[in-house]
Amino acid sequence: MRNTIKFNLADDEIESHISNHLAAQHKMLKETTISGRLTYYDTFDWRLFHKSFVLYTFQDRLILRKMGEEPIIHSINIKPTPCFIWEFPKGDFKQYLKPVIKMRRLLKIGDFMSGTTPYRILNQDEKTVARLFFETIRTRSRKNPKTIGTQLWLKPVKGYPKFSNKIKSQLESFGLTSNRDEDVFLQAMRETGQDPGSYSSKLALQLTPDMRADEATLRILRFLFQVIKINEAHIEHDLDTEILHDFRVAVRRTRSALVWSKNIFSVKETSRFKKDLSYVGKISNELRDLDVYLLNKPKYKAMLPEVLRQDIDPLFDYLGKKRSVSFRRVIRSLRSKKYIKIMQDWEAFLNEPQHEIVSGPNAEVPVFELAINRIYKQYRDVVKAGNRILENCDDEKLHKLRIQCKKLRYLIQFFANLFPSNKISILVGQLKKLQDMLGNYNDLSVQVNYLLKVSRKMPSNLSRLKNTLVAIGSLIGKLENKRQSVKESFAETFTVFSSSRNQKLFRDLFALLPEKVVS
Amino acid sequence: MRTIALYSNKGGVGKTAAAVNLSYLSAQTGAKTLICDIDPQSSATYYFRVKPKLKSGTKEFLKGGKKVFKSIKGTDYENLDLLPADFSHRRLDIVFSQLKRSENRLHGFLKPFKAEYDVVILDCPASISILAENVLNTVNCTLVPLIPTTLSVRTYLQLLTFCKRNTIDTSRIHTFFSMVDRRKKLHRLLMEKVSSKLSNVLESDIPYLSMIEQMGVYREPVVAFSPSSRASKAYQHLWRNLQETVFINH
Repeated sequence: MRNTIKFNLADDEIESHISNHLAAQHKMLKETTISGRLTYYDTFDWRLFHKSFVLYTFQDRLILRKMGEEPIIHSINIKPTPCFIWEFPKGDFKQYLKPVIKMRRLLKIGDFMSGTTPYRILNQDEKTVARLFFETIRTRSRKNPKTIGTQLWLKPVKGYPKFSNKIKSQLESFGLTSNRDEDVFLQAMRETGQDPGSYSSKLALQLTPDMRADEATLRILRFLFQVIKINEAHIEHDLDTEILHDFRVAVRRTRSALVWSKNIFSVKETSRFKKDLSYVGKISNELRDLDVYLLNKPKYKAMLPEVLRQDIDPLFDYLGKKRSVSFRRVIRSLRSKKYIKIMQDWEAFLNEPQHEIVSGPNAEVPVFELAINRIYKQYRDVVKAGNRILENCDDEKLHKLRIQCKKLRYLIQFFANLFPSNKISILVGQLKKLQDMLGNYNDLSVQVNYLLKVSRKMPSNLSRLKNTLVAIGSLIGKLENKRQSVKESFAETFTVFSSSRNQKLFRDLFALLPEKVVS
Repeated sequence: MRTIALYSNKGGVGKTAAAVNLSYLSAQTGAKTLICDIDPQSSATYYFRVKPKLKSGTKEFLKGGKKVFKSIKGTDYENLDLLPADFSHRRLDIVFSQLKRSENRLHGFLKPFKAEYDVVILDCPASISILAENVLNTVNCTLVPLIPTTLSVRTYLQLLTFCKRNTIDTSRIHTFFSMVDRRKKLHRLLMEKVSSKLSNVLESDIPYLSMIEQMGVYREPVVAFSPSSRASKAYQHLWRNLQETVFINH
């Protein structure tokens, strides 16, 4: 026996029965019970749960383990618990966690009390040959603590498998069965009334090929509306930048879906909501831009020569203050009558009984047919636009292509489950590369212009302003160089995207004849 | 993975006591730690209540791999494992010299541990031989306990000369005073002289205390059975010193 085995116990009173039973056959040493607060953490969108990780603090120690497994992957002594990855000390823990949580805040998702009593099984040399841990997790109520789970861990000691095997059999003969199914974390979450993994901004829609286009579109729009509402409720808490980002993406996706909804629902209504949601999107444009600048602070600083790195700080202080103003403005807008009315009307439209919604000519078309037509048309538009850029590359055309690619990406994501997932992944991967290039180019262009604008507006009473302006100038230079090199990479990136192999993949998936499709 | 060897070409200087206590302190930080007892006297193995027996012969032992992993035993402490000594280790030098590229063989032996351990501590026998050359060439840091006596200092200087002659990097060799009796004038004088003349002398010193000798009675590291004793504090200080001055560079 090499791995730790867990046994779920009916209650915490059974501990003494089991330990007495084992003590009759082995020399056992009971150690001091370790009690303390046990606090679980995850991000707003359950990133740790989705990757099967459990992150918790116990006695000032932050611990990461895999769901359903006992061995610890990483742990550090740290107080207070970091909220963001950049607050972690340098080291393996940070490196491990960084790609999982990225820029999201770690939120406290459950607070409990844990008590563990360790026992050591000894051989004739008094050497520890196996370990037992009785662990009880309770709610934090002082008067009436409720037991969430009691479990017994049998931990073998390397090099002494016979002892652990024997104890395992003895525990089994006592009526216990090893259990790897349910992690105590899940029991704890049930107690808090939370459903781990219940929120994700990722589109995971279950559409069937023969579903009517109006029904499928409503399903997509309702899902997006939910994402908008969930995030909207938390924007004012300012937990992290991604709440607003997810809100904005859902609004953008909705607008994109409304473009092709005009022939499914009434033109009048879709164009009204398109306009309304365009307003909703614009509310937070400035705030999102500022969030991106502030998130990129370490990256920008790293671009500067060592001597100028400190001098750029006043710029970020200035941007930070601007962000506070912008944030308050966004909150005011989200509480405005205009915004509330738009959302109420939009919700009412989505909840209208389907037969009452005015239908367009495409309402009854099977969604598969709609999907392949829209995706293939959009794909051809992207390829045409890209080819024109190859002949003559200018900023406006690149910007337009970026928007077209975004629309194509949304379309593929909306209807992804109608197609083989492996092929969709390849296409999305290729498209993402092109989008990343175009996105980078756009970001760099916007950043260069914004920095030029900001440098003219920065308050002149700052004593370090001269040095700061030099640093901003240097940063603009670096960004501009990067911008040019990204622009030069367009031809290569686009050629890969529009390669004949990729074109064939698009054709095979989306250029089917409707009659073949329906069958 | 960080590798530390407790080594001295002189016997009875407190190598094993330091190896056992430092490995315990390393494991307490949460680092997965392995103490390798390569001294045929098997004192470290005895301290951890493990039987001195390997599941492989000396030659297989040096080749490393699966068989060596099978010989590893968990200790009484979380995160701390032991590769026990074996009486056959008395032939380690002979076996080393029979192998090709014998002066760099230990590197291959330690490599497989990288996947499982964060820190490996070697408790070496007292000798200045091919085994010593291997240790000095391979580990991140060689720690040499030094009793502040004339003969002990002379032996340490012999070691440094040996390293220079064999182009062994001496910057990875660190020393600390061991079995110090500050009541003795000679100890105080030598400590001052050595610290001013030689580089890589760690600030911490381990006093001569009967508590350390009692490890043989308790069969536990002193830092485990008497964590607030003077002896424990000395080892804790040495461990902190090691982290601040040596680990930071590796």
